[in-house]
Amino acid sequence: MDDTFEKKTCTCKTGLSRRSFFTSVGVGAVALATAKPVHSQEKAQVLEPDSTEKIRLIVNGREHRILVEPRWTLLFVLREKLGLTGTKMGCERGECGACTVLINDIPQYSCLKLAVESEGYAITTLEGLMNGENLGPVQQAFLEKDAYQCGYCTPGQIMAVEGLLRQNASPTMDQIKRGVSGNLCRCGAYKNIFDAADLAAKLKTGGG
Amino acid sequence: MLPNFAYVRPASVEGAVDHLHSENSRVHAGGTDLLGCLRDNIFMADKLVSLSALSDLRGIRRAADGGLRIGAMNTITEVATNESIQDQYRALAMGASEVASPQLRNQGTIGGNMCQKPRCWYYRGEFHCLRKGGTVCYAFGGENQFHCIFGSDDHCAIVHPSDTAPALLAFNAQVRIAGPKGDRLVPVEQFFVRPAENVEKETILQPDELVTEIMLPQPPQGTRSSYRKVRTRRSWDFALAGVALAVVFKGDTVESARVVLSGAAPVPWRSAEVEKAIIGKKLDSAVVSSAAEAAVKQAQPLSKNRYKIPLFKAVIQQELEKIAHA
Amino acid sequence: MKPTDDKPYFLKGVPVPETPLPGEDPKPWKQTSVVGKPLPRTDGYERVSGSAVYPSDVLLPDMLYGAILRCPYPNARVKSIDISAAERLPGVRAVITGSTPGADLKWPYGDGVSAKLFDPHCRFEGEAVAAVAAETPYQASDALQAIEVKYDVLPFVVDERNAAESGAPAVHQKGNRVAAPTKYERGDVAKGFAEADVVLEEEYRTECELHTPLELHGCVAKWDHNQLTIWESTQGVYAVQSKVAEVLGLPLSKVRVIGHYMGGGFGSKLRPGKYTVIAALLAAKTARPVKLFLSREETFVTCGNRPPTNMKLKAGVKKDGTLTALELTVTGTGGAFPAGGVSLVDWQIRDLYTCPNVRTEATDFYTHTGPARPFRAPGHPQGSWALEQMLDALAEKINMDPVDLRLKNIPLFSQARDGKPKYSSTGLKECLETGAKAFGWEDARKNRSASQSRHLRRGVGMAACVWFVGGGGPPSTIVLKLFADGSANLNMGASDIGTGTKTIMAMVVSEELGIDPSKIFIENADTGTTQFATPSGGSKTIPTESPAVRAAAIEVKRQLLAMAAQDLKVDASRLAMKDGSIYISNDPSRTVKIPDVAGLKKRGVIVGVGYRGPNPANLVVNPFGAQFCEVQVDVRTGEIEILRFVAAHESGRVMNRLTFDNQVIGGLTMGIGLASTEFRVLDANETGKLCNKNWHDYKLPTALDITENITSVPVEILDNQANSTGAKGLGEPVTIPTAAAIANAVYNATGIRITHTPINPVQLSLLFSEKPVKE
Repeated sequence: MDDTFEKKTCTCKTGLSRRSFFTSVGVGAVALATAKPVHSQEKAQVLEPDSTEKIRLIVNGREHRILVEPRWTLLFVLREKLGLTGTKMGCERGECGACTVLINDIPQYSCLKLAVESEGYAITTLEGLMNGENLGPVQQAFLEKDAYQCGYCTPGQIMAVEGLLRQNASPTMDQIKRGVSGNLCRCGAYKNIFDAADLAAKLKTGGG
Repeated sequence: MLPNFAYVRPASVEGAVDHLHSENSRVHAGGTDLLGCLRDNIFMADKLVSLSALSDLRGIRRAADGGLRIGAMNTITEVATNESIQDQYRALAMGASEVASPQLRNQGTIGGNMCQKPRCWYYRGEFHCLRKGGTVCYAFGGENQFHCIFGSDDHCAIVHPSDTAPALLAFNAQVRIAGPKGDRLVPVEQFFVRPAENVEKETILQPDELVTEIMLPQPPQGTRSSYRKVRTRRSWDFALAGVALAVVFKGDTVESARVVLSGAAPVPWRSAEVEKAIIGKKLDSAVVSSAAEAAVKQAQPLSKNRYKIPLFKAVIQQELEKIAHA
Repeated sequence: MKPTDDKPYFLKGVPVPETPLPGEDPKPWKQTSVVGKPLPRTDGYERVSGSAVYPSDVLLPDMLYGAILRCPYPNARVKSIDISAAERLPGVRAVITGSTPGADLKWPYGDGVSAKLFDPHCRFEGEAVAAVAAETPYQASDALQAIEVKYDVLPFVVDERNAAESGAPAVHQKGNRVAAPTKYERGDVAKGFAEADVVLEEEYRTECELHTPLELHGCVAKWDHNQLTIWESTQGVYAVQSKVAEVLGLPLSKVRVIGHYMGGGFGSKLRPGKYTVIAALLAAKTARPVKLFLSREETFVTCGNRPPTNMKLKAGVKKDGTLTALELTVTGTGGAFPAGGVSLVDWQIRDLYTCPNVRTEATDFYTHTGPARPFRAPGHPQGSWALEQMLDALAEKINMDPVDLRLKNIPLFSQARDGKPKYSSTGLKECLETGAKAFGWEDARKNRSASQSRHLRRGVGMAACVWFVGGGGPPSTIVLKLFADGSANLNMGASDIGTGTKTIMAMVVSEELGIDPSKIFIENADTGTTQFATPSGGSKTIPTESPAVRAAAIEVKRQLLAMAAQDLKVDASRLAMKDGSIYISNDPSRTVKIPDVAGLKKRGVIVGVGYRGPNPANLVVNPFGAQFCEVQVDVRTGEIEILRFVAAHESGRVMNRLTFDNQVIGGLTMGIGLASTEFRVLDANETGKLCNKNWHDYKLPTALDITENITSVPVEILDNQANSTGAKGLGEPVTIPTAAAIANAVYNATGIRITHTPINPVQLSLLFSEKPVKE
């Protein structure tokens, strides 16, 4: 268990641990390149309220060095600072799922995740599922099955399905329903979302 | 939006305890409940002490005595899907899989689930209620359909929101707590605080303490367990009525049992009445009915939650019938 | 109220010009090659790739974030506001109140009742008190906390059932009745009840529902000198434009509203909010763009609702199933300002079934709660909840199948409208018959399908509906541009609120001109660049816009053929088009491809303008439907599971089978919410505040609360009189009968009649303990 988790936390492309920054000494924009080893015995740095610190976020395989306040959520930083508005804001309370992103392949609500807690993890947003200008298989399946109406919950639904399929390549209908049960769709397109998830599984494995 | 706070991510439990010692610091585990509370101004925090760098708090290990040690920072998903837990502590895996939504199970931790704040809408909303330092519990005279039928102590009518704590209590788990003076071990049964003891606290944790581990004893041979939760919708909902059962059978006879109700009281509510009604007996329909009756005999429903009496009876009856034939 | 004589709800307060008549009255399509097919959306790529920019996604250089301070009490007077501490906070660039120059504005709430933008008397929880703009939304939120307001907290009434009591606090000076009760009467109900073999009477209640679309309400506002641009999440950019211009005293031409995409509205985004004007004021004060989107909690208290409804219904029937009389009294509330609290609740009772004697009386009360806004088929699901359960009960009493009872009372004309006009088409009978057949209704009634366990009981139920509008109508103006290469730009003012409007319009163009839908770019919902359109609501967008689009395409075709006639040296009347080519009808070998038409090459573009013609005189255009479902009930705990649904809907021509079916499943899902999960909880005894203003306590159905076993059975009756495309509305009828069908199925399973929503374990476990269901 421990081992798997450790492996997962270190999938970032730099090979840096997510803890590297805050376990290092100093204030301000400490360069990550000089990050201290994981088991540093030195005292952790306290980030002060209402002031910004530079962190490194790895979003869709790309590194961003960005100044954040301790209270800024990952959702806020993705949308308003990085301009990645594919991730939507529906409630900021962890109740709707519109802000779902993958963190090390696992679906999480970015509205209840501090940006500083996301440092060093592999973050995947809707934009990260594209192959250049082409849709990824889950996106393609949503388009074909008309698995949306207004489209605002859709990025979160797609990320939930993507996360599900990364864990389980051929889910049953029950597993699909449970997999998207943390994502509200007020337009009520759930049935088509289930069908899209089913098709996406086939597209991903080369079938369908 | 979140208010201001400082943030620190210590590299050791000792470091975390050090930081918690300073005025008005709060533990950030998964963060899902904490950030919600801060956003809703339920309490303020000057500093968040993140546990996410504490790898010692991860992992699920076999204990020397055959039990299981669950690091407090394991996610609810990790608890729900762990094979040892599914095998030996089925009620816990079931409870964990019923928590909130998939994303929250991926983010929230088992330690955080035990320490979460109540979901009472007066507590969470803009009401200056008793638990937040006010003078009145609004639930007694107000909208109390989702409130408690046991243990309010005439102080506060919340129900404890956890789906994992009832199972942990049913398995007689212990909680390891780190503090300035080192570790202490506390049975789950003594971990939660009733309103009469302290209406502003849900657990015995001191401000500079944190849960590091949950220790499950090896269940006796013949143990069967289950968790069942009735809610008004099938995802992202707390229990209207729930029950965790850990029943030790010898043949068809119940040798010992621990029965814990969720959605019933301000703390996970151990039902001595049900236990008494089934221990030493075979779970035939007469015994099951009398156990279900006994469960709610002492209940004190509020104006709008009278339904919980038949509902708890129904759930207990169903679950006892099921476990008898499991 | 006479809805026939009045503007429909979605046009109230909207200045509506009439468009000119279309050039010719085109013949109905006989056979279509594109329209009706299951075509994925033309803007699907944008929606699934994340490239669609919703108003809440708009990021402008130097943009600030706005936030609104709201009154925490249901009834209070603002005594004083101190903004000095807030103004000093880091990042805060503006704090405004009613006394800020330029902010002392009148806010028209409707039906002639106004308040101020920042009114010192706050008549509901959430009324606006002050607003701020700051560099980050966090700092804006800090600033709100730092504003000190002193209130006189006043007594309140939030439950409409207490609003008429003597001594109830008055919401407005003249008392708590919004108006005299609205009455409707035809025939003689006393005589009707005397003629009946069975008379039943029952009280019903539906709880208040909240729209809560996924995209929050709000906008981004930006000034360029005296020109205001607003990106708003809205169902109608022109409705936003007119009200903002009115409140701010600006010419329409100086207010540009853009809403290319929007994340759901369901009626709650037909008009702008105070937030729209507040964002504009903050932007003016700071001379910077301001993004102001409400928090989720704010939308619960200030962005409308489907009001709670208390209904008493009495019905008489003869043994042969003839309905003899219906009598409904209903009370409700639209909140603190006139907002149609009981509007249209009686429409199903008035007009769904043949009945000579009908009387209804509706009384609307003011309460200290947020004003209602139209919510998907306003009033209709509530009335259906009563009427369709009543029909079920009557059928049982006279030992008749519920479908047969309805079939016995099918009207061919609208009884409730003056002059009793005929329907342009009525598919009610076909919906009942086709739906029943697809569901296997008779078998399912006779042989209840087996459940796994004896305490799990299964039952089936059904309900039917009519939607009182759904025919659309003028005005609509469409501009279609055909480019030299044969691709096209369709310019339309209407919003696509998620129903697939843009896709269907592309299909209409494709049908007429043979252009592949992928070559048609749609430019819409922008008052700066597209034509006037009424807001998308009332299930009227497709029947309103598609005939105008068709007219525009026909006009383009006329011009194109005139050009091609010169190339081919024949009279244009001898030409026809197919697959992007023009040919001579009786000599198909003589042909010219669109890009080769010399006149088009020379000019570069053909512009065709299309208008929506009037609706047929003396005919009513309404959609109909019938839904059938099977449920499983745990008769101990009261948990219910929806097992399957069949929905047969007649909405004229099916324009796109994929989006048609999607509307059906969406309407059902929302109906499941009304039936079983959703209800607003007000703290009526103590504080008058909303208890459940979030999505955890206010429970929308999740993926686990619905069934994947939903069958949509379109009943396509070609309605050549409705309009030139034959389409009728769909989005609203699909949610009308769902809740009643579920209640009827629960009755069939358990023998217990659930007259109050929602059907959940809270209610059922108590009912089952009082009246146990035999296992």
